[in-house]
Amino acid sequence: MPDPIYLDHAATTPVRPEVLEAMLPFFGPRFGNPSSTHRWGREARTALDEARERVAQCVGANPDEICFTSGGTEADNIALLGTWRARRESGRNAIVTTPIEHKAVLGAVHQAVREGAEERFCAMLDTGIVDVSSFEALAGDDAAIASVMWVNNEIGTVQPIAQLAAHARAVGAVFHTDAVQAFGNIAIDARSTPFDVLTISGHKIGAPKGIGAVYIRRGTVIEPLFHGGTQDRGRRPGTENVAAAIGFARAAELAIAEREAKVAQLARLRDRLEHAIVARVPDAVVHGRDAAERAPHILNVSIPGTDSESMLMALDLRGVACSAGSACQSGSVSPSHVLSAIGVSPDLASAAIRMSLGALSNEAAIDRAAEVFAVCVNKARGMAAAGD
Amino acid sequence: MADRVLVAMSGGVDSSVAAALLVEQGYDVVGATMKLFCHDGDLPDRPCCSLDSVNDARRVCQSLGVPHYVLNLESAFGRDVVDDFVNEYANGRTPIPCVRCNTFTKFRDLLVKADAIDARWIATGHYARVAGGELVRGRDHSKDQSYFLWGIDRSVLQRMILPVGAQTKPETRAVAHRLGLEVVAEKRESQDICFVPDGDHTAIIRQRLGDDAPALARGPFVLSDGSVVGTHEGFARFTIGQRRGLPGGYREPMFVVAIRPADRAVVIGPREELLGRGVTARSVNWLVDPPAVGASVEVQVRHRAPPARAEILRIEADEVELALDEAVAAITPGQSLVMYDGDRVLGGGFIERARPARAMLPVRAA
Repeated sequence: MPDPIYLDHAATTPVRPEVLEAMLPFFGPRFGNPSSTHRWGREARTALDEARERVAQCVGANPDEICFTSGGTEADNIALLGTWRARRESGRNAIVTTPIEHKAVLGAVHQAVREGAEERFCAMLDTGIVDVSSFEALAGDDAAIASVMWVNNEIGTVQPIAQLAAHARAVGAVFHTDAVQAFGNIAIDARSTPFDVLTISGHKIGAPKGIGAVYIRRGTVIEPLFHGGTQDRGRRPGTENVAAAIGFARAAELAIAEREAKVAQLARLRDRLEHAIVARVPDAVVHGRDAAERAPHILNVSIPGTDSESMLMALDLRGVACSAGSACQSGSVSPSHVLSAIGVSPDLASAAIRMSLGALSNEAAIDRAAEVFAVCVNKARGMAAAGD
Repeated sequence: MADRVLVAMSGGVDSSVAAALLVEQGYDVVGATMKLFCHDGDLPDRPCCSLDSVNDARRVCQSLGVPHYVLNLESAFGRDVVDDFVNEYANGRTPIPCVRCNTFTKFRDLLVKADAIDARWIATGHYARVAGGELVRGRDHSKDQSYFLWGIDRSVLQRMILPVGAQTKPETRAVAHRLGLEVVAEKRESQDICFVPDGDHTAIIRQRLGDDAPALARGPFVLSDGSVVGTHEGFARFTIGQRRGLPGGYREPMFVVAIRPADRAVVIGPREELLGRGVTARSVNWLVDPPAVGASVEVQVRHRAPPARAEILRIEADEVELALDEAVAAITPGQSLVMYDGDRVLGGGFIERARPARAMLPVRAA
């Protein structure tokens, strides 16, 4: 079999060599605990502070507004539960969000509801974009926090974050955005966009798994989730993952520096893949295609008359790695809550395949993936060509 | 290119060894674990189908160097197996979900997945064999699982491989050790029904049908003469032949001899009332060309029951009626009736009713 093709960059990415190199000393001679007073500690602390500054710069933030976390899920939990718990006594009890959020946000909202919060889900347009008038109607002066993801992880649609954040600010609600899939693909600047809390993650941009960050605008109060030491101003007790934070900083800098060129290249490859698939399978349904803006790295396609699970197996056995819906813990495929929420029929939703592009994508790989995809579709529909 | 085979892997030793043997034999093996019900409640000690089992199957495949997938067959399994299980109990019968899982889930729905990946073959860890296009008991009669496989479509036999059916359980464990599958080699066997936690089937009936389900409501214990001799807490707690939980004070041991959902009665009686000399089964499926009326076959009315000689009285559409040469105890509606010729499985069906007296074939003119 020819080399397998990785089309699942929205799930995770390989650690970049530059990132690995930057981290290595912190597994070796520079192993200190940043909280220690001695030379090893000072050295680690300095490196950690620098990493924080560098990540801050990547999103237009002040260093004290960046809190390192174990990844996107923890950051989302701090954002949702941390702010809601801090505000619950103020008479603002409602959480406004969308039904297409990542499970980390939906799960945190669910927990807040168990603790007494009121959840409000915005209506979605079938383009995959949040209905702004619905958002504005739901986010009133009783809203504690509003949370809308910047780029959807399944279909790549880009939400009008500036507009939503401005409304939230006008009514006094904290605005959070999960920017895990946006970071490195969309320009993010805390100085020009009035979000209050923002989530980013390392392993989607070439840093290792287990590191992420939450941006918390000065003046936004959060209740920490963990209790213990005073690390990160008490916002996130626990000895910091120094090496990973340094790797994250390096990956973030590279992602920002390369963003425009990468976006142009990935959009070109994504379009190439989309055209090749639609040319071979004319009734393919591309989700999120009619959104005003789509992130460049995600292509989500449903082929009527197929099912995601069988397609994923067949693709993988022919060397093409992609994903469907959201994977559950056992690794099985469940129908996508995102597609259901934007009005895609259950049949079509259970046929969705997400292909996500990145560092390992090139024209040859894309062309071959499209070919294999078409073969698998024909097989699945029982129209296999003789000799295949 | 080697033939591809999709191996249904539970994470237990039998299906793991099945996969390993097929790898050794040169097949292009693809492992799959079926997710059949929700893990939300997460029961840590459940021996089968739990998350740990999925992980074990994945590890075995990784060590064999073959791909592994988790297939979500939850909604179909819920419809074809769990719903039926609950309905059967509600109707005063004792269901046998493993048969329906084999018939509908493993050897029908999973076969569709096999087609999707161009797998010519499908394999499981059952102790049974396929020989000459027929289903045959496993070599280790003490582990034989052919009783659970009568319902599969006959054509599936052409695509089925049962690699451990030709060996004994200790041999299977020995192969697991030889191949370094220590994760599963000494795993204990699952005895429970996989979706019934702690062996308490009433929990799932209550969950599906509600607390006030008639099958779980108080009802009378009656004798066959109609006299009421006590009360029970729901007829779904009983099966034909059961002794546990019955009123005491009788000279001879008493058994459940019938369940009557209409008046929620559990009928009890002495051993002779438990005996049947005839049996009728429905949903009959043949794995060979159906034998003629009047043919003598061996039948098994429950797993591990010794085979009993019987004569076929009637074959009609999907129904079969048999006369038993010797009385058989505790013929239970809902269980399977499987017909054998020695080790060959001829076919089977779900037991509809037993007859206390032996019916005879009408004497034919000429």
